[in-house]
Amino acid sequence: MMWTAALWNEYSVGLVIAFTCALTGFAALTIERDDLHKLLLIDLVETASLAVVALIGTDLAEALILPGLVVGIAELLALSQIYLTKEELQHYKVKRLNIEVMMISPAPIIISTILVMYGIILSGFTGGGVAGLGIVFYFMSRSFTGNFHVLEIASGISWALWVASFFVFMFLPEWWYLALMGAAVGILLKVITKMSLVGAMWGEPE
Amino acid sequence: MNEIGGTPLFFLEFGDIVVYFTPFTLTLFLLALVFTVFVLISRPERQIDIAFGADAFYAKVISLPELRFRRFMSIACGLACMGAMVTGDVFDFTLLVSLVGICNVGIVAAVKSRHVQNAAYQYGLVALAGTVPLFSAAAMVAATTGTLSMIELAKDAVAIPLAARALLVLGVMGEGMAPFYAAKAEMFRAPGAPYVIMCSLSSLLIFLRVAEVILLL
Repeated sequence: MMWTAALWNEYSVGLVIAFTCALTGFAALTIERDDLHKLLLIDLVETASLAVVALIGTDLAEALILPGLVVGIAELLALSQIYLTKEELQHYKVKRLNIEVMMISPAPIIISTILVMYGIILSGFTGGGVAGLGIVFYFMSRSFTGNFHVLEIASGISWALWVASFFVFMFLPEWWYLALMGAAVGILLKVITKMSLVGAMWGEPE
Repeated sequence: MNEIGGTPLFFLEFGDIVVYFTPFTLTLFLLALVFTVFVLISRPERQIDIAFGADAFYAKVISLPELRFRRFMSIACGLACMGAMVTGDVFDFTLLVSLVGICNVGIVAAVKSRHVQNAAYQYGLVALAGTVPLFSAAAMVAATTGTLSMIELAKDAVAIPLAARALLVLGVMGEGMAPFYAAKAEMFRAPGAPYVIMCSLSSLLIFLRVAEVILLL
C-alpha cells in the first residue's frame, strides 16, 4: 500500500511537471503571431505529451512513444509542407554541406563505419537510427550522385519484412523467435536506408 | 462489460489487440465504408467563375495529380475512420483519431489557393495541439489502470480518472475541428468538392465514437 502511494505520488509529480511544460507552451502560443514560430512552439508542446507517455515507466511506454512520435512527426512534416506552399518558399533548395576538409579527409569514412558497426550491434530501431546517422554523415560530407533506386527497393523490402514479422507474431505466435529476428533486421535496414535517403536528398545539388 | 453500443456481435483478435463490432460501432463502420466507396468512385467538381461584364464563365481544371492526391487523402481518412470506429484499444483509438486529423489537413490543404492553405495551416496547428491531450489521456489510462483494452476497462472494478476522460474528449475536439476550417476557407462551394465531405463525416463519426468510449469507460 505504501509502495503504491509512493508510486502514485511520483507519477503525479511527473504529470504536474509535464503538464506545466505543455501549458507554458500553450501560453506562449497565445502570444505568438508568427506562423513558423507557432509551428515550433506546437512541436515543443508535443514533446510534453511524449513525456506524459514516458511516465508510464514500463516497456509499454516505449511501445506507445514510437507511434505517438511518428504521428507527431507526420503532422509536423505536413504542416511544414503547407507552410512552404502558402509562403511560396518552395524554390529555395537546401545546398549540400560543402566543407572542403571533409571532402578529402578519411575521417567521415572512419566515423561512418564506426556508427554503422555500432548500429548493427545495437540492432532494432535505435540501431537503425545510429547506423543511418553514420550513412547520412557520409553522404553529407561527400558529393554523392548515385542511383537511389536500390536504396528505395531495400527500404521497401525491409519494411515488408517488418510487417510480415508482425503477422507472424499475431497468427503464428510459436514462431516468435523468427518473427523477432525478422522484425529487428527489417526495422534496422528500414531505418538505415530511409535515413541514408534523407541524407542523400539533403545533399542533392540544385 | 457495459453494453452502451449494444451486445457485441463478434470479436476479431490481433494478439492482445481486440477489434469488436457492436450494432453501434458496426453502423458507424458501415457509414464510413460507404462514404469511402463514394469518394473512390466520384469525380471532382470543377469551380465555375462567372466572367465579370461579359457573357462567359471560367471553369477551373483540376489536374490529374491533384485529383489523385485529394482522392488518396479522402480514402486514407475513410480507412482511419473505419479503424477508429471498431478498435477496442484506447491507444489505437487515439492514434487513429490523430490519423483522421492528418488526413483532414491533407484534404483541406489539397486545394492550391492561398486562403485555403492558410485555413489548412491553422487547422493543422489545432490538430497537432489536439494530439497532446489525446495521447496524454491514453497514457494516463494505461498508467492508472494497467490496461488499454476497452473490454477490460468497461468492467466496473476499473476506475479511470476523470482527467483522462476529459483530456480524451478535448483531444478529439481538436482533431475533429476540420469542418470549421473548411467552412472558413469556403471550401464547400466548389474547391475540394466532393472530397471535403470526408472532413465533416469523419469528424461526426469520431465525435459519436468518443461519446461511446467515454460512456463505456
